Amino acid sequence: MQNRRKKAKGNEFGVENKLSSDLVANIDLLKHCFSYGKNNDFSMRVFQAKYNQKDVLLCYYASLVNSDKIEQTIIRPLLEQSGSSLYHVIIPESVKVTSNLNEIQDHMTSGKAIMLMEDDPIAYSIDVSNFEHRGISQSENESVVRGPKEAFTESLRVNISLVRKRVRNHNLMTEVKKVGDRSTQDVQLLYIDNLVNDKLLEEVKEKLDAIKVGNVQNLELLEQYIEDRPYSIFPSIYYTERPDNAAIYLERGHIILLMESSAACLIVPITFWSFIHNPEDRYMRVIFGNFTRGVRFLALFLTTMISAIYVALANFHSQMIPPDLLLAITVTRERVPFPLILEVLIMEVAFELIREAGIRIPNPLGPTIGIVGALILGQAAVEANIISPIIVIVSALSGLTSFAISDPSFNYTVRITRFIFILSAGFFGMYSLVMAFTIWFMYAVSLKSFGIPYFAPLAPIYLSNQDTYFRKAMRKEKWRPGYLLPKDLQSARKDK
Amino acid sequence: MKVDKKLAAFEMFSLTMILIALKLTDTTPSLFAQKAQNAFWYIPLLAFIVILPSLLILLYLLKHYQAKHLINLLEILLGNKLGKAIGFIFLLLNITFISLDSRNYVEQIRNLYFLNSSTLIIFVLFTIICIFGAIRGIEVIGYTAKIFFPFIFISFFLLAFLIYEELVWDRIFPIFGSGLPLIVEESLLKGSIYSDFILLTMGYSAFRKSHDFNTGGLVGLLFAIGVITFFFLIYAVVFDYNSIEKISFPFHEITQYVNLGDFFTNIETFFMVFWLLATFIRFILLLYLLTWLFGAIFNIKHFELLILPMGYLVMVVGLVPDNSVVNELIYRNQLLNLMTPIIMGFPLVLLLIHLFKRKKVEN
Amino acid sequence: MKLLWLVLLSFFIMGCEDMIELEKQSYVIAVGIDETEQEGIFLFTFQIANPEVGSIASSVGSEQEASETVTIRGTDIMTATTTANAFVTKQIALDQTRVIIASESLARSDQFIRIIQSAGRTPQIRRSVQLIISQEDAATFIKNNQPTLEQRPHKYYQYMLTRAKETGIIPDADLHRFFQITEGDADLFLAMYATTNTDPKIDRGSEDNFYAGQIPKSGGNPTQFMGSAVFKEGIMIDRLTGEETRIANILDKTMEMSELLTTYPDPLAPKYRVAADYIQSQEPIIDIQYDAERNHATINVLVQFEIEILAIPSLVNYSQSEADKATLEKSIEDYNEAITKELIKKTQESYRAQPFYWSLYARKHFKDIPAFEQADWNKNIYPNADIHVSYQLKKMQFGNLLDDTNLNEVRD
Repeated sequence: MQNRRKKAKGNEFGVENKLSSDLVANIDLLKHCFSYGKNNDFSMRVFQAKYNQKDVLLCYYASLVNSDKIEQTIIRPLLEQSGSSLYHVIIPESVKVTSNLNEIQDHMTSGKAIMLMEDDPIAYSIDVSNFEHRGISQSENESVVRGPKEAFTESLRVNISLVRKRVRNHNLMTEVKKVGDRSTQDVQLLYIDNLVNDKLLEEVKEKLDAIKVGNVQNLELLEQYIEDRPYSIFPSIYYTERPDNAAIYLERGHIILLMESSAACLIVPITFWSFIHNPEDRYMRVIFGNFTRGVRFLALFLTTMISAIYVALANFHSQMIPPDLLLAITVTRERVPFPLILEVLIMEVAFELIREAGIRIPNPLGPTIGIVGALILGQAAVEANIISPIIVIVSALSGLTSFAISDPSFNYTVRITRFIFILSAGFFGMYSLVMAFTIWFMYAVSLKSFGIPYFAPLAPIYLSNQDTYFRKAMRKEKWRPGYLLPKDLQSARKDK
Repeated sequence: MKVDKKLAAFEMFSLTMILIALKLTDTTPSLFAQKAQNAFWYIPLLAFIVILPSLLILLYLLKHYQAKHLINLLEILLGNKLGKAIGFIFLLLNITFISLDSRNYVEQIRNLYFLNSSTLIIFVLFTIICIFGAIRGIEVIGYTAKIFFPFIFISFFLLAFLIYEELVWDRIFPIFGSGLPLIVEESLLKGSIYSDFILLTMGYSAFRKSHDFNTGGLVGLLFAIGVITFFFLIYAVVFDYNSIEKISFPFHEITQYVNLGDFFTNIETFFMVFWLLATFIRFILLLYLLTWLFGAIFNIKHFELLILPMGYLVMVVGLVPDNSVVNELIYRNQLLNLMTPIIMGFPLVLLLIHLFKRKKVEN
Repeated sequence: MKLLWLVLLSFFIMGCEDMIELEKQSYVIAVGIDETEQEGIFLFTFQIANPEVGSIASSVGSEQEASETVTIRGTDIMTATTTANAFVTKQIALDQTRVIIASESLARSDQFIRIIQSAGRTPQIRRSVQLIISQEDAATFIKNNQPTLEQRPHKYYQYMLTRAKETGIIPDADLHRFFQITEGDADLFLAMYATTNTDPKIDRGSEDNFYAGQIPKSGGNPTQFMGSAVFKEGIMIDRLTGEETRIANILDKTMEMSELLTTYPDPLAPKYRVAADYIQSQEPIIDIQYDAERNHATINVLVQFEIEILAIPSLVNYSQSEADKATLEKSIEDYNEAITKELIKKTQESYRAQPFYWSLYARKHFKDIPAFEQADWNKNIYPNADIHVSYQLKKMQFGNLLDDTNLNEVRD
């Protein structure tokens, strides 16, 4: 595949894709190749090196490189210093040699400066890249009270450094895979060499190789190229912006994928539990952590089920509602023109609208839309007898509790599920609701993420720390998850 | 990456529990009470003792011959044709039985919660869920059973706890109910309530080790008997012998009766949810096993494709008897009585053949 | 895919068969049943809760009645609800029914068991529904029952019955128990007895020796729950006073009765009575000696109880003097024994069956049900049994007050 791609490029320019010893010919070749003159960004400079008195061509994309660095480390030394060879003259830390035009293209686009020398059929590729990126900031989507606050940023190098800072292990590999035919991007595979299962690594690499598109811009797109079931409502890859989270998963034997210009990482393979757990569960003492887990499971139940249960009970099983509540609901319902299920749907849709608008709205208006949406709209709708007050409570409950599911992907799963359940509760009450739940649940159980069952290690069972519904005390955590088939299963020290 | 995704002992335990113990919610208790009056609660125990040797023989033979499933074992011992023929009889019996059983559950749902709807539509929905679930395969059924089981168990336990103050333990007397001979006769005839377990041996190869199947299955059976006996005892002491005969679904009668304080007075829908979960798992499993049985007999490798027609067949057969629950009681009673000697007998026959074969090899 | 949508859509339509909006139902709290001159036709009264009352949401609701009462003829409850729709706007739901009220005249006829049977078999009516027998017609009872404090009818029945049951003056009489006992055919069933007719009787001695309606009072709701209606084989044969009901509750271990306030004759000052809190912490010990040869039983009843003295209007100093205390204890035991014996005598001689659920103890002496039914506890054994009752006061406390104020000192 790799070969075919190169061939295709060579043909595109209709010329030999090797450099010759003739500098002028080479300059022409490069000018043609990078559309010199038309492409404003492409800079090129010819001067004479002092140490061997030969003409030198230096070219680069001005927007990708650090011009100070070029000046300080390449041009000035070449112009002023003398020495026996090139390596004694120029200063930059990384110099690569190539003669292949395609490679030169790759290097140019990733921010390197290319230097050609008279009578030399090779090119020196000098790393002077300077991609602009945001500084490290606080994690916004996965904030914690206890624990590190820093998040990944849009720079690959910074991100790797954030991970390495936490995993001080020489076995931590940062392997590069290239994706994309036209605009080739680097995907960094991070894994701990003596932990990760080789077959798993192989499978991930195969998935990456199988991507046959021109351009994969960032991780968010990459996720969709490598997942097994694009139409599933469950995510099968964990997307997190917390480096500490990535470090935890690395130590367990998972694989991390990083890309330039993505302020997050992908973790594979993953189970259902990762979406429910939060790194903070582990940063807090076991009781406190498990308490929050309990709250979160309750939130998961409420956000998916409460509206559906309300529809089922009110429309099919009114005997279940205690009489005081029943009469209270009835009296408010008497003035409402819509059927109950429509009422619930109206409110749920309204909530989703407010939520979507809240994300898209320009920042200064954010709080306003919250107040207008939640307070005024709800209050006014009740007073206008369009909906009954209990629906406001029910849908507010189901909407608010959905925020407790912190993972952004799984959050969508939960919200879509809610609508499925509400509609199914409208068919046949609890009977169809339980039916929908069973099908939904069995579907989830049947899922696999890179061959790992979604509900491992609960079902099927594997040797692990049993960190499913609730976690155990830190001291009792002795194992890496057995379902990953790590090379070393025991995580606690072995002298016991 | 290939991880071992086969089922383990706890999955087997949950499957057995759900498959067997759920009988306490249908007409089985009132069926027993017709004959045995207030002594019906220990009939499951006696019936189990009666059927236990046969089950143990079957498990032993499966392990000994490393058989993939029941039909495989029959073929090994009886030869290809005879094995398949017996398997076919077994299949027919099971189709009838499961159809009647599913009809029974559909009637429960209809009578208790959806009086205005037709049986047909509820049955259709029921069949759809069974097909959807069964298509996911035995592993997923096992995992789901395992995850649901604790919740189902807790809900049953809660029911027992709530009904506790209504229990009048003296109602178990006179201890021999309608008389000892009748009880013994009934126990001998009703061993077939455990026949589902034999069908479960179709899934023998879906487990990691035969040890998982055997321990999970036997412990599950023992627990299931315990739970059934416990709940039958509760029915006996809540309803007394004169009333229990007249109640078709004592489980639901109890869920309708219990209160959770003064505020929540009608909480049967809460128990219905967990009961429904268990019911769905049970029939999904049964449908899958039934199709597997069919596939094994007719050498169809991708039998999962047959789940849809099989589900349809079960529904059609289930719709044959007319409405009344009483009729159902009679059909089921006779079928149970008919099945018991077969289930007790055929493992014994297999054992004899096995012993005979071994002797032949030794000679 | 399109087919799938069609199927889904059709489910949507068909699923609506059992779907009903909350506001399209009327919630019946109490069902009254009366007989008519025509056999097999009954008069049903439905007390329907009005959701408007007691809710903050409605400003207009305050002038409305808390409930609507409708009466209609019919053969059974379910069909009557349909007939009622001729003038009740919404579908009538019986799920929230708390009580079934039957008139005494219906209860004394053989029609009662038929209509209750059919009610009990409808899934909408729960087994926990309480059975009330009213002296007057049930329709009149429901109409006259106008509680002022608990306007919402379900709250009224809930509070009223819970409290009255706690004190033991009415029995716990849900449908479940009615069916158990009636179908068991070995005991008598006690239903709650109530009336809105007032016929005050002054000279009845203690404070609960009344039938319903006889309690002298002024103000409040005219409804009185007191005592019980005795059912033998599904037909009402007599009624018991509150005191007798309480004794029956004490002797029946399946009844929950924890404590009640009552008065006893003061042994040293016969003009006065002693107020006490009767605490029943243990079940009565009932020992049945059964002689299979003669089909005869000897029943020994031992009731252990505690007393907390609340007030001694005679100002006799029982707490200080051991001898006086013993006298009081003896007198309370004797008093309880006497009224119990009287009740048992009444059941043996006039009812020829007992309402204490003692058949439970008798069953242990039989091997199987045919033998038990052969011996016929109800007809042969109980009426001829020798019954010995003894009360045992385990502990007597005098509350917080050590001593009553000496009146003579005060008057100085």
